[in-house]
Amino acid sequence: MAERSFAQEVMKLRAGAGEVFKGEGILAITKALLQSGVSYVGGYQGSPISHLMDVLNDAQGILGELGVHFEANGSEATAAAMLSASINYPLRGAVTWKSTVGTNVASDALSNVASSGVTGGAMVIVGEDYGEGSSIMQERTYAFAMKAQMWLLDPRPNLTSMVDTVEKGFELSEASNTPIFYMMRIRGCHVTGEFVARDNVAPAFNKTHPVSPQREPEKIILPPFVYAQEREKIQHRLPAAIDFIQRERLNEFFSGMHEHLGIITCGGSYNTVIRALERQGLADIYGNVDIPIYCLNVAYPLVPEELVEFCSGKEQVLVLEEGQPEYIEQGIQTALRRADLQTRVYGKDIMPMAGEYTGQVMLEGMTRFVLASKRAHIPLALSLEDVLALETPLSQDDIAALMEELPPRPAGLCTGCPERPIFSAVKQLQEELGPFHISSDIGCHSFATAAPFNLGNTIMGYGLSLASSSAMRHTLPHKAISIMGDGGFWHNGLTSGVTSAVFNGHDGLLVVIDNGYSAATGGQDIPSLVQPNLIASTIDAELPKRHEWQSIEAACRGAGVKWIRTISSYNIDAMKRTLREALTTAAPGLKVIIAEGECMLNRQRRVKPLLKKAIAEGKRVDRARFYVDPETCTGDHGCVRLSGCPSLTIKDNPDPLRIDPVSYVDNSCVGCGVCGTNAHSAVLCPSFARIDLVHNPTRFDTWKAQWRQRFSQWWRERDRRRWVASRL
Amino acid sequence: MSNRPITMLIAALGGEGGGVLTNWLIEVADRSGWLCQSTSLAGVAQRTGATIYYLEFIRREDAGADPVLSLFPSQGDIDIAVTSEIAEAGRMLSRGFVSPKRTTLISSDHRVFGITEKSAITDGAIDTPMLIELAERYSKRFVSFNVDTLVKRHGTVISAGLLGAIAGAGVLPFDKAIFAEIVAGNGASTANMAAFEDSFLTAQRHDGIPLEGDEPAPFILPEPSSELGATLLPQIAALPPAIHEVCYHGAQRLVDYQDLSYAQQFLVRVVRLVERDSAAGHYELTSEAARWLALWMAFEDVPRVAQLKLRPEREASIREEVKAAPNQLLKVTEFFHPRVEEVAAMLPTPIGRWLVNSAISRRLLTAVLGPRKLRTDTIATQLVLRGLASVRHWRRATLGFYLEHQMIDRWFNAVIGASDDALALALADCGRMVKGYGATRHRTTTQLMAIIGGVEGGGVSTSEQVRKLYSAAMTQPDDQLFQIALSPPNKSFMV
Repeated sequence: MAERSFAQEVMKLRAGAGEVFKGEGILAITKALLQSGVSYVGGYQGSPISHLMDVLNDAQGILGELGVHFEANGSEATAAAMLSASINYPLRGAVTWKSTVGTNVASDALSNVASSGVTGGAMVIVGEDYGEGSSIMQERTYAFAMKAQMWLLDPRPNLTSMVDTVEKGFELSEASNTPIFYMMRIRGCHVTGEFVARDNVAPAFNKTHPVSPQREPEKIILPPFVYAQEREKIQHRLPAAIDFIQRERLNEFFSGMHEHLGIITCGGSYNTVIRALERQGLADIYGNVDIPIYCLNVAYPLVPEELVEFCSGKEQVLVLEEGQPEYIEQGIQTALRRADLQTRVYGKDIMPMAGEYTGQVMLEGMTRFVLASKRAHIPLALSLEDVLALETPLSQDDIAALMEELPPRPAGLCTGCPERPIFSAVKQLQEELGPFHISSDIGCHSFATAAPFNLGNTIMGYGLSLASSSAMRHTLPHKAISIMGDGGFWHNGLTSGVTSAVFNGHDGLLVVIDNGYSAATGGQDIPSLVQPNLIASTIDAELPKRHEWQSIEAACRGAGVKWIRTISSYNIDAMKRTLREALTTAAPGLKVIIAEGECMLNRQRRVKPLLKKAIAEGKRVDRARFYVDPETCTGDHGCVRLSGCPSLTIKDNPDPLRIDPVSYVDNSCVGCGVCGTNAHSAVLCPSFARIDLVHNPTRFDTWKAQWRQRFSQWWRERDRRRWVASRL
Repeated sequence: MSNRPITMLIAALGGEGGGVLTNWLIEVADRSGWLCQSTSLAGVAQRTGATIYYLEFIRREDAGADPVLSLFPSQGDIDIAVTSEIAEAGRMLSRGFVSPKRTTLISSDHRVFGITEKSAITDGAIDTPMLIELAERYSKRFVSFNVDTLVKRHGTVISAGLLGAIAGAGVLPFDKAIFAEIVAGNGASTANMAAFEDSFLTAQRHDGIPLEGDEPAPFILPEPSSELGATLLPQIAALPPAIHEVCYHGAQRLVDYQDLSYAQQFLVRVVRLVERDSAAGHYELTSEAARWLALWMAFEDVPRVAQLKLRPEREASIREEVKAAPNQLLKVTEFFHPRVEEVAAMLPTPIGRWLVNSAISRRLLTAVLGPRKLRTDTIATQLVLRGLASVRHWRRATLGFYLEHQMIDRWFNAVIGASDDALALALADCGRMVKGYGATRHRTTTQLMAIIGGVEGGGVSTSEQVRKLYSAAMTQPDDQLFQIALSPPNKSFMV
């Protein structure tokens, strides 16, 4: 039940030849895959390509009609291994994941498929999670492309180029027997635009047209074949790729009047280059440029002949390549040196080594590059000083004032999140048992490393928290604590973590946060989806698709864990008790606490329509939400520090004497109960109340309420009289 | 190069519907014969984080030439910046996306507090007027009003209001009718349409008009409305006018809390403050000390909490807050956690003392006390609360009263006896530390007493020292920073 449904949008995937397709980049890529006649698709979700998995999931009807096989893989390694279908058979296939983290996980299979080589086109669509909006460490996929020899496509970020490049990419893969990386940047994934569609193509082989099994021993990655495969890469596949790239003109040349200059850019940065030139009066908005551009839609391999052709006769060129190391720049230098070309290559000497090439960075670099030319003076719309001044119009004082005041706004746990009470419990227990070192993991729960919980010391990768705690469990003053999500557990944690920990006699604590979904990536289904969630793959599917679920507890027991407790995450007291027991017990071996609670975003999507329906049908329904009594709240905000719930906020103190704002529950409250439970377990204050709004009360309810009213009425009148009398 | 795109930035918070707003704008552009390219950083949009959408609009050419549009907003190259909240407008300013030569800044002026603001022990909220002033100064045009209240009035979400503000500001070359058509289009939400219309008109009205600062009217002591008033108000009137307001509210609170003589006890102390203060010629010290004195004297013991929970107007304010329909039944469940300390504080001093110190009775009581959920809308609970509230009649004899007043006296005497005015004021301000319940209250008052102890013992003698200790106590919710500030450790490593 992904958080975003593409049920409407996937209808666009049926568009036939000549129809104009309007939509998001991700959807266009899916359409391109269908136009390319893929036989199988798979992948693992993660920003920025989560939606690609969601689209594929929601498009299963269309995929089924065409005979395309889809799998929501267990991990990127599983997805990469799917590419082996293309080794022996002319099957086209594509898998997708978040990079570089996913590529790290997948790289074993990738190296092998790249060594074997492919017969059918094999493509990995990587969501390059680099720059603003990224959620991971900053690295590039480029190194993987080079070391395993996979070609890396980085098309211009308009839908037509993106779609064409997918189709050409499969041809390139087949022409050179090499699997391909197709790189999508964050903004490219979400860019909206349009392109003219072509018909979808059913794969040549599928359920109804099976392949005939065949063995090609020379494609197995064992000696002696591996040596031949390496030679094959160099002697045949690379030249074939370069030949194809040149013949099909995958890279683009744009001519301009200042021929002594040149810009070499990756396709993904092309639009930013044009905008920078346009602002300097060196291009128009339609891409007509004064400085020639060589646009690398294939970022790897480089094509030396094209580079030499482009640079010949040029005084200087500027290489625009985001991130580091500057592989492309080095490659260009090598190509030019071998050809003994004297063109001055500017790159990381005037461009920043780290970070995205944003509009401002590009404008500044371009300006420096043009000014560096010793030949004819080229008039610029903005001087370098102008450009630098654009950075900010603010005075130093105002910048400082803003830095001081602006509240950081990191992503945090949603309203009613079932993970919040777990961290409330851990934080309370920390007060008791001293400061904790916690090995954290990837997932929503990693937000606990930030305010207000500030719990967690390291994050080593998806499903790796338990593994990472092994390193220091012998040096900690308390039993090692690892926190892992259910997504991470199935992705990697069961094998790399639990199995290994039991094997090595790890006696620490693993908390598995079981919210039923891969929540951080957008609420995709995972193996341990449980009843009564009635799991459906999107909010639009009415029936559960999965009839069997795989239990985390059974998996742990299977791996040899003896001490396992499953607790509702909202029961903070039980959680505290169990955590305390796990951390203080003399029982040997790994302790696993499974903290259960359904992802609130998914739950709300599931429950809200049901609730509305029940109310409309006249059924008695209680709808809960919380309330802070502004009269008793003294404004110390201890409740916020144990919660951080978006709906628990502050407002001006209505008391004429008090200054500090009172805590306040706004109307987005879903009534999960954590504030009340915290008020109890941390002995906070008497200000929290749960208000149940009763819909369609029974006659008995109404009768009781009337009696209560009658009773309170008398007192109230008396109270009111006294109140008036006590006014000065 | 005449056909330049219009560039637009939308900064919103996750879950606010920035994506919906963007899709509306794309449709409006499309219907108007314009091309709109948008992109976003949606990766962190779900979970309350700040997020950005970037749009470029360009008129479609007949020839069908494909424009090359940017995916990055650029400093100095933004025509329209839309922010759903005023701190996000500040963020756009600080990132250089608002240019005085070019950018129309459209922002709701309400606040959605960040976690650092919410979790502060005192008041962590940022300086909103400063942000508004900067936004006005650094934008070419600043269109701003409270879109949040507006959309709430219509029972819808902020995206519809922002679309109205964008259309009303007239920054995009599209007809209002097309905007309205798109809002009405999907699902035909009448709430969205009404909010759009309202916001459209408000944006037109507010354009260029500086926001009027609502200066509070000066406080005038009211005429007595009761016998109590007739006794107390003349006493307050005899004090300097600058402190009338705090004295009025303080006396009112204490009459309600206890009785007339308790309020008079407060005023006697205020007079002593005025005497201490008049030498300095202004009444800042009196004003602040009186504020915290009144609040502390009305400390929140069990009878007080019960009294507040029984307020006759309480049900109405809850009903309004949770948006209950008229006559809809409500259940009100309060989360209480009485401890032995709170029970002892309600008892006569010697009995209360004995209770706290007796292990057996402590254990017995602990078994009965603990977390309690009480339905305060039921008759039984109301009777219990009335019983507890009536304890206030012998409050002066309780252990709690004795202990609180011991601390109040020490603090008050330290303020009065301070060697200089700055120190007196710093100590008076420390009254703000007295807050919370249970362990929090115990920690903050203990810290305050440690400061007073320092003053009494001579270890703390300047206002700077006091303020440093105060901020150490109020920065972190544990005692660590405060203890370090109280007795700085020598340079050896902590064990």
